[in-house]
Amino acid sequence: MALDEAIATARSKGKVPDTIRFFRWKPSAVSIGYFQGMEEEIDMAACRSMGVDYIRRITGGGAVYHDYDGELTYSILVDEANNLVPKDVLRSYDVLCSGLVIGLSLLGIPAEFKPINDIVVVGRKISGNAQTRRMGVVHQHGTILREVDPDVMYTLLKVPSEKIRDKLIKSAKERVTSISGYLGREVGFGELKAALKDGFERALNVRLVEGKTVEYEEELANQLRVKYASREWNFKR
Amino acid sequence: MIKVALTQSDGKIEWLRITGDFFLHPEDLIEEMERVLIGLPVEEGEISDSIEKLVGKRNGTLVGVAPADIARCIMMAGDLGG
Repeated sequence: MALDEAIATARSKGKVPDTIRFFRWKPSAVSIGYFQGMEEEIDMAACRSMGVDYIRRITGGGAVYHDYDGELTYSILVDEANNLVPKDVLRSYDVLCSGLVIGLSLLGIPAEFKPINDIVVVGRKISGNAQTRRMGVVHQHGTILREVDPDVMYTLLKVPSEKIRDKLIKSAKERVTSISGYLGREVGFGELKAALKDGFERALNVRLVEGKTVEYEEELANQLRVKYASREWNFKR
Repeated sequence: MIKVALTQSDGKIEWLRITGDFFLHPEDLIEEMERVLIGLPVEEGEISDSIEKLVGKRNGTLVGVAPADIARCIMMAGDLGG
């Protein structure tokens, strides 16, 4: 989260090019949308006992469980002036998600974009995405599920009652899929990242060049980590 | 989903908090929205109009939810005796 904001700031100051970043969460974490209430959404005692972090995102949307082994997260940070990205938020989801759709299809997964901001495989969600625009930079991030375990997710999220928990888990098992769930084989993080990189290059007709974070981004990220770890930020709503 | 916590006094909004899994650009407009609604009568049309006006004035975008939806939730929170 901190590094994303640091990259967005660096991009807005013209210090770095448009960037796509892939990462995993260590430890695993639940992120909530900007407008959600932490205490309303997250069972913090369960998180603590399972060693799972919780954090508020800079973007709207719902709670997401980022399992270290089960999912890959990406972030795209693009100058708003770049013609690749439509000014209209809804259309831009489609454009930016098309990189993931093509990337997944390269792995043999018939992924489709489903408005507003999901990617589905045969009607079942495999990726959720969220976007914000600040400082003249479009910042979209999202999750791609390699494996999914709704039982764990609904242990970490608050639910109105135990009876409803079972229903939510059952419903999630029907509505959500994953790469290994669809393909019946594991796709490693390296293979997945390579496919998604290829997918973004084809979808956006760009060439992605591997790079490292610059000193400005690192220093700013270190400062921003304090904000993202703070009670003030995480419990602001 | 939108959730609203509300307190009212003499039929007017005294305090409220709007939470949920919607999108609003720019995000910090939510705090201003909550401020603007304080003191308004708990009246669906007026609340909806105020939200729409504010979002328009700030060149904001609501995604996945309309001003009328937020207004309806505020009314429901009001009916629950908030």
